[in-house]
Formats: sequence, C-alpha cells, structure tokens
Amino acid sequence: MPELPAITAAPATTAPKTAPRIRRWLLFPGLPLTAIMGLAVFFRLWQLTAVGFNSDEAVYTGSAASIAGNNALTAVFPVFRAHPLLFQTLLSLVLRVHDTDWTARAFAASIGIATVVVTYLLGRRLYGTGAGLIAALLLAIMPYHVIVSRQVLLDGLMTLCATAALYCVVRYVENGRLSWLLAGGSMMGAAVLSKETSIVLLGGLYAFFVLTPSARMRGKHLLLTGLLLVTEITVWPVMIRLSGHSHRGQSYLLWQIFRRPNHSAWFYFTVLPSWLGPALLLAALAGLIWLRKEATWRERLLLAWLIVPVLFFSLWPLKGFEYLLPVSPPLAILAGRTLARPLSRPEWLRQPGWLRWPDRLTKPGWLARPQGLPRAVMGVLAAATAVSMVIPAWQRIEPSTSASFLAGSGGMNGGRQAGRWILHHIPQGARLLAIGPSVANVLEFYGHHQVAALSISPSPHNRNPTYFPVSNPDLQLRHGVYQYVVWDAYTAARTSFFASQARRLADKYHGVAVYTSTVSVQVPSGTEVVEPVIVIYEVHP
Amino acid sequence: MRLRVPALAAAATLVALLPLSPAAASPPPPRPQAVRTTTPIKHFIFLMQGGRTFDNYFGTYPGAYGLPAGTCQPRAVGQTRAGCVKPFALLGQQVPPLGASRTTITSQYNRGKMNGFVSAYQRQGRNGTRVMGYYDSRQLPFYWNAARRYVLFDHFFSSALYGIRANRSYWVSAAPAPGGKGAIPDGGYGKLRTIFDRLQAAGVSWKFYVQDYSPKDTYQSASPANLQTQTSRVPLVDYFRFTHDPVLAQHIVGLAQYYKDLAAGTLPAVTYIASSSGDNERSARSIAGGQDLVRNLVTQLMQSQYWKSSALMWSYDGSGGWFDHVRPPRERSATLGFRVPALLISAYARRGLVDHTVLDYTSALKFIEQNWALAPLTARDARASSLTSAFDFAGRPRAPALIPPGSILPAAGIPGASPAPPTPVTKIYWLYGTAAVIGVLLLLFAAWRPALSERWQAKRARRVVQTDGAGE
Repeated sequence: MPELPAITAAPATTAPKTAPRIRRWLLFPGLPLTAIMGLAVFFRLWQLTAVGFNSDEAVYTGSAASIAGNNALTAVFPVFRAHPLLFQTLLSLVLRVHDTDWTARAFAASIGIATVVVTYLLGRRLYGTGAGLIAALLLAIMPYHVIVSRQVLLDGLMTLCATAALYCVVRYVENGRLSWLLAGGSMMGAAVLSKETSIVLLGGLYAFFVLTPSARMRGKHLLLTGLLLVTEITVWPVMIRLSGHSHRGQSYLLWQIFRRPNHSAWFYFTVLPSWLGPALLLAALAGLIWLRKEATWRERLLLAWLIVPVLFFSLWPLKGFEYLLPVSPPLAILAGRTLARPLSRPEWLRQPGWLRWPDRLTKPGWLARPQGLPRAVMGVLAAATAVSMVIPAWQRIEPSTSASFLAGSGGMNGGRQAGRWILHHIPQGARLLAIGPSVANVLEFYGHHQVAALSISPSPHNRNPTYFPVSNPDLQLRHGVYQYVVWDAYTAARTSFFASQARRLADKYHGVAVYTSTVSVQVPSGTEVVEPVIVIYEVHP
Repeated sequence: MRLRVPALAAAATLVALLPLSPAAASPPPPRPQAVRTTTPIKHFIFLMQGGRTFDNYFGTYPGAYGLPAGTCQPRAVGQTRAGCVKPFALLGQQVPPLGASRTTITSQYNRGKMNGFVSAYQRQGRNGTRVMGYYDSRQLPFYWNAARRYVLFDHFFSSALYGIRANRSYWVSAAPAPGGKGAIPDGGYGKLRTIFDRLQAAGVSWKFYVQDYSPKDTYQSASPANLQTQTSRVPLVDYFRFTHDPVLAQHIVGLAQYYKDLAAGTLPAVTYIASSSGDNERSARSIAGGQDLVRNLVTQLMQSQYWKSSALMWSYDGSGGWFDHVRPPRERSATLGFRVPALLISAYARRGLVDHTVLDYTSALKFIEQNWALAPLTARDARASSLTSAFDFAGRPRAPALIPPGSILPAAGIPGASPAPPTPVTKIYWLYGTAAVIGVLLLLFAAWRPALSERWQAKRARRVVQTDGAGE
C-alpha cells in the first residue's frame, strides 16, 4: 500500500510559517501598495464635487436615478439611450441609499480605485511585484485615468471589467484552465454591458491568439467561452426588446454608425499623450525596445490590447476623449515593466577593474552590491516619471479656469449653479431653449425642467434619437412654448451659428438676463477676468 | 478658479456685452406707492373675453354644475312635434359668432322658462341647433387644465341679460351703460363712476391694458354703424375724462405694456385687460388665440416677481347666444344674465375648486373694494358676493407651476409622439444583476479553484484513510 501524506499534521506544520509570511507581505508589498492606494483614493476623491456634472454625467446619473425611481428625473432622462445599463443599474442601487452628486461620483471613483488594484495584480502576474507596484502607482496618478474615473462615466467600469478580463486571459495562457477563460469571457461580457465599445478589445485578444502560437486555446474552451460571452451580451438587446424600445435601440445603432466625425483621425495622438503622461509613454516604449530580446507572449498580449482599440477609434468617425481608457492599465504595466527592471550594463559601459576600486571606497554598501546602482537609477527614473504625472494630475483635478470645454475631461463649470437656479426660481413646467444638448442635459438634470436645444438636427439621421428638434423656434417662442433662452460659452465656442441664433431670439423676444454663471479665467497677460459661461434670458413674446 | 454666482460685477459686464435687456438698459421707473390691502393679494388682474356660456365651455366639466342628463331644447317653443335638440360636442366645427341680439336673448330666456335657445334662431329662419354645441377639454385644454389646478366658478353670471356694452359697463362701474340699446350718448358715459375713479382717488395704481389699442378710437370717433369696436370692448374710451384728462388717459395702454410692466416691476395694483377680436373667443377661430393669450398672461405672471401677490381672473361679457341651462337669479328689480365661464388663478387660489357661489362681474369689483378699502360704486356691488370663497389665505402661497397647454404640447418628449412605455425596473435589475453576479462568481471560482481542488483532494484522501482504517 502506498504511503499517504500526513494530512492531519499539515495545519500544525504550516501554522507557524503563516504569520511571518503575512508580516513580510505587510512590509512588502503591503506597505507600498497601501501608500499607492492612498494616492489613488486621494486623487479620485479630492474636491470630487467642486464642479458639477457635465452632459454625459448628467445623462448617466439621470438614467440611474430613473431606474432608482426618482420621479423628478424619470420624465427628463429616459433609461434606454445609446448604451447598455450595467453601470447605471449598479449606480441606481447606490442612489437608492443616498442620492447626491458626491455619491454618484464616489461610486465611479471607487471603480477607478479598484482598477488600480487589478492593474497591480496583473502587473505582478506578468512581471513581478515591483512591476505591479510601479504600474499601480502610475495608474493611480495618471491624469487620464484620474480625471475619467472621477466622473460618472461608463468607461471606468468598462476598464475595470476589461482589465479583469485581461488578467483572466493571462492566467489562462499560463495554466490552460477553462475556469480562467470562462471568467475572462464573463468579465469581457460585463465590459460590453458597461459600454458596448469595449467589444473592440475582443479584436485585440483575437490578434494575440492568432499571432502567438505558444498561447493556445482549445476549441472546446473557445466554444464555451464564446457561448457565455454571447449569452451575457444578449442581456442588452433582450432588455431593450422586453421593455418595448426596440425601435429606439435600432435608431441608436444607426445613428452611431453613420454619424458625422466629431474629431480628426489624429485626435487621440494629439490630445492623449499629455493626459497619459509623456514620461510613462517613453518608459513603456523604451522597455519594448530595450528589452526586446526578452520579449514573450506577455508584451504581445499587452500590445495587441493597446493597438487594436487605438487603431479602431482613430479610424472610427466618433471619438470620445474617454474611449481609450482601457489602454491605460496595460500602458502603465509596460512602463512598470521597464522601470522595475534593473539596468543591465551594456558592454561598453562596463568598467575596467582598475576603475572599480574607488567605488568600493565611496559607495555605501547597498550601492556597492551587484545591481545596486541600476536599482537606484531606475528608482530615480520611476520617481521622476511619477512626479511628472502627479503635477498635471493635481492641476487637472483642480476646477478648470477655462470657458471652453472638452467633453469627458471634467465637470462643467457653472452648469450645476445654473441648473439649481432654474430649480428654485422658474415656474414648474416652464421650458427652456438652449443652444446645444450638452448644456441642456446638465440644466435638465439639476433644474428638473425641460430644456430643448436649437442645434438638434431635424433629420433623424443626424441626431441622437433621445433628443427632439425644435422646429421653427421663432414661432414657438412667439406662441409662448418656451419661456427662457439659454446662451452658454461652451456650445458657443463650437457652433457660432446656433449661438448667434440664440442671441437673436433672445433679443427679438425682449430677453432679460435673469441669471448668469461666471468663471474667473486667467488671460494670457496673467490677470484674472470674470467671464460669463451660462446666461439665462427670460423672454416675453 | 472661483465661481461667483451671481457675480454682480460680471452681471454689469454682461449687460454691457449683451445689450438684450430693455429693462436693464434704462433706469427702472419709480415703483407705485405701496397701499395696504386686506388680503395678501396686492395685484388683481381681470381679463374680459367675448360671449360664451358656462355650459358652452364647461358643460361637461367633472364636478361642475354642467349639462343635466336629458337636456333637449325644443326647435319651436310650444310645438312638441317639431322635436328638440340635444347638446352636442363641437368637435371639428368652426361655428361663426351666433349674433345674439337683444331680441334673440330675450326669446331664449323666455321669461325664465329657459326653453327658447334654439327656437329663437329658428324663428328668424336661422340654424338654431348650433347654440346647443359645447366644447370640452379637447378644444379647451388650457382652460380645463387651469380649472383642474385653480378655481372654476360655475355660478358666475353676466351682470346683464344682453348687451356687450351693458355687461362691460357693469364690469367697470357696477351699473348699466347710459344710453341703453347699445348706443353711446353724445357726451359719452358722463359722470358714471368707475372703479378706476375710486382707485385714482385712493392713490391705488391701476391700468387698463388694451390689445391692439388705438387711442384715437373713442366714443367720439365711433359711428352708429361701427359700434362693435374698441368703444364696446373698452368702456373707458366711452368716457370724456378718461380720454381727455392726460392723468387718467395715461392709464389706458397697449397690452405689450403689461409684459413690460411685469418684467420691469411696475405692474399696477389693479389691472383690467380687454382683448381684440383675434383673441376674444367670440368666434370659433379665435378660441385658440384666446387660450394662447390667457396662457401668455398667466405664464408671464408666474415668471414675474408678482406671482405670490397676484390674482388673475378672466370671464366673458355675455352669453353670445349659446345655450346655458341655469336660469339666472334676479337681483332686486333686474335679472342677471346667463351663466358665463369664469376662472381665477392665484398663488392663494384653492386647488381644483369648483366654486358654486353666485357671482357676477360686480363680485370682482366687490373684491377690489374690500381689498383696497374703497367705497362701493353702486348698490349692485355693495350687495354682491365677493370672490373670497375662491381663496385660501391661511395657507402658504403656491409655487408657480405653468399650466400645461394640453394636447397642443405633450408634457415631455417629442411633440405629438406617443408616450414612452414605463421603465421595467425589475427586469433591468434581474437581467443585469444576474449577468454581473455570474461574472463575479466565475471569477471567484477561477481564483479559488486550486484551493478548492486541494481541499477536495485532501478530503477525499482523508476518507480513504478512514475507510482503510476501518477495514483493518
């Protein structure tokens, strides 16, 4: 009879070893990880509601509030719009407990903080604890991730789920267990249910498996995971069907596919580098070149995950500032990989023996150790990279001093104040006419009044199906359908035609400026001037 | 950056940059002297429209004393064989003004029998069936919505049985127009006192706003062939003193001034408004215009600073020949006219009240006199019931809420579109919740599977050991 392991004795032998292991873990990586998490929390919660919601935040919070049963917003914010509802559904549970701007943003921020943790786990899995910690640090203070995850947007949850899916794929490639692939498929499904654009990431996974012979996927695994993924994604159309909004769903799809480009093809290449951190990009790129001989399937996976969405959204006519958020964790990991890697001295840098002795005299012990200097250099580089990102991140979480606005890059200055003024000062049932739908959404959210927009196209092909056009606004004002006209600097900067039309209508119907939101902006000469950003005119036909 | 809302400096800059505000461009006119009132109503507005009866507008209004079941007016009085005409909805019919003369209305009244409404016209060889037509919420959505939210009077009578001039004279002076039979005396209405004389003497601000006002169109310029003009709808232009004394004449202004006064903060204490033919609802075509006019007056009032201290009322200057089933009560020696629609909107108005108090135009005068402590003009207004039953001054003033214009504009969404189906909240939670939970469970299972597997193997091994031990 074969000898069996002493099962009953096992706990007795392992127990004494657990405590020192925990203590060691608490010291490293527990301590630095806690510090990183502290940074992530600070950057995502500091002055979280200093500025009110922007248009997208208003729409998603409004939809979530509608799901949560907020009657005041149900009439203004229909639940079924352009995107699936996983994020809004989860947010609605939070809003049922506490319905404030802070709660909504804190929920989104907590998702961002969770993404930092998953990035650490993924980085550690791929390149070790050091790389994981640096990747987590870089993501924690990356201006792009910080700013987007401070907003009530779908992209934060999409990025969390997508990064978790990437982690599962890594585990699957490592051990070939179906459970990891199923978990990855499920996480990918959750990413799609958060925001449908994440389906593009599947292209990245496809490219990786096709181009990497060492990473094999069994046909049965693929089939089961594909089934799971499709079933999960089907929740979106099934929900639309069950609720009787099929027509609206189709309209959204057509509109998204055929809408006109909102930015040039180089939008991401010109705007995003400063938000991602040039030093981080440099570190990621340097590592790919410098450590190219050590390249494995890991880099290929991360690159496929990066390149496919970047290429896709550069070619896709519709570009949102926050659309590329899922690429931020792999970028941070690639940079972390570089910065966590001690320098291996090239041949030409190696010192001859006669030059080594002064080192022994001058250098402290830790530096004199093998790899001590490279570690120190990389530490300094990592710190420099982090500092180069902390400063812009800090500047960007401060309320903007600009009267222009890039959608998705923060809250809308003055919008909340204007909306609350509407809520408290204009009669219930009064209607407002704004220039564009962005400000209209914010005013509807805070003001609980219907706000139409002049710039909505009468052609159903050129407008968001949620919005309705104002046919002959002049006549409608004359008939007293609208009682207020709203001018705003943000939309006026984008569409001078409709801005001048709003001014003309306000002028024609004896508009009296009854409310003005202002911001103090710094002009090139350095002086601060007060600029109006939102003006509400009471009109009298 | 600091956000300063409202920033006075910015507002000043803005006014310079955006010169859109006529009110802001010129210095504000001096506010009228504050006069004490006995109620929180500091501003009373009374609009008079043209010839309609209560049953014609609100005969089917729920809760009101409307058309009784079995109502049927004989085609010919005393001839049952001729048959009768039942009330019918005027849906899609553009009925022209019925042209109700003194004789017609007298025949309709038929010494209090109230059975000559159809026959009065039939006898003249005209189509009398039209008088039995009525409107409802489909044609009068704004008025019905207003009634649901504020006060509808269902026993409000015109002050005289016939005559636009007579009724409009009661409206301002609690007395019939001098001259009789619709003619204006050569010297105008002479010394007949109006409520505006009382207000002027008491130092209470007032204005008479006239839509399409023409200062030249007075009793002196009116010809006997053309009396249905401004001189009939604006009784003040039939007075010498109100047309020639600059102090008084300046109180009669165009309707545009009403909106300007609301915006500029110069609305007088007592406001009378007379609409023009395009909006006075005398014809079917002008009903929509009339509703738009009232909606604008009410909306602008709600938008203004005056909402919390105002009451706006509108009524109709006679029956216009339309059917009403309630016999008008007698007022001493005289008989009141047929019931007319009357509504009151105010921050203090009772919500959705159908007020059954017997009232007429002089009731509004009574309210003004009581509120501003003025002496009555005549015995009629002295005896009249006031409007106080329509108010609730004990409660707090209601916040302004625009009255939906009804079927013209839906409450939300695309105009004319069918309402969106209700949000299936439970289904959303179930489906998305299940998807999320499955994702998390699969992730946890994948992460803990090795540990679970080890534990399961260990358990199995332990069982084998126990089985073997038992066997030995």
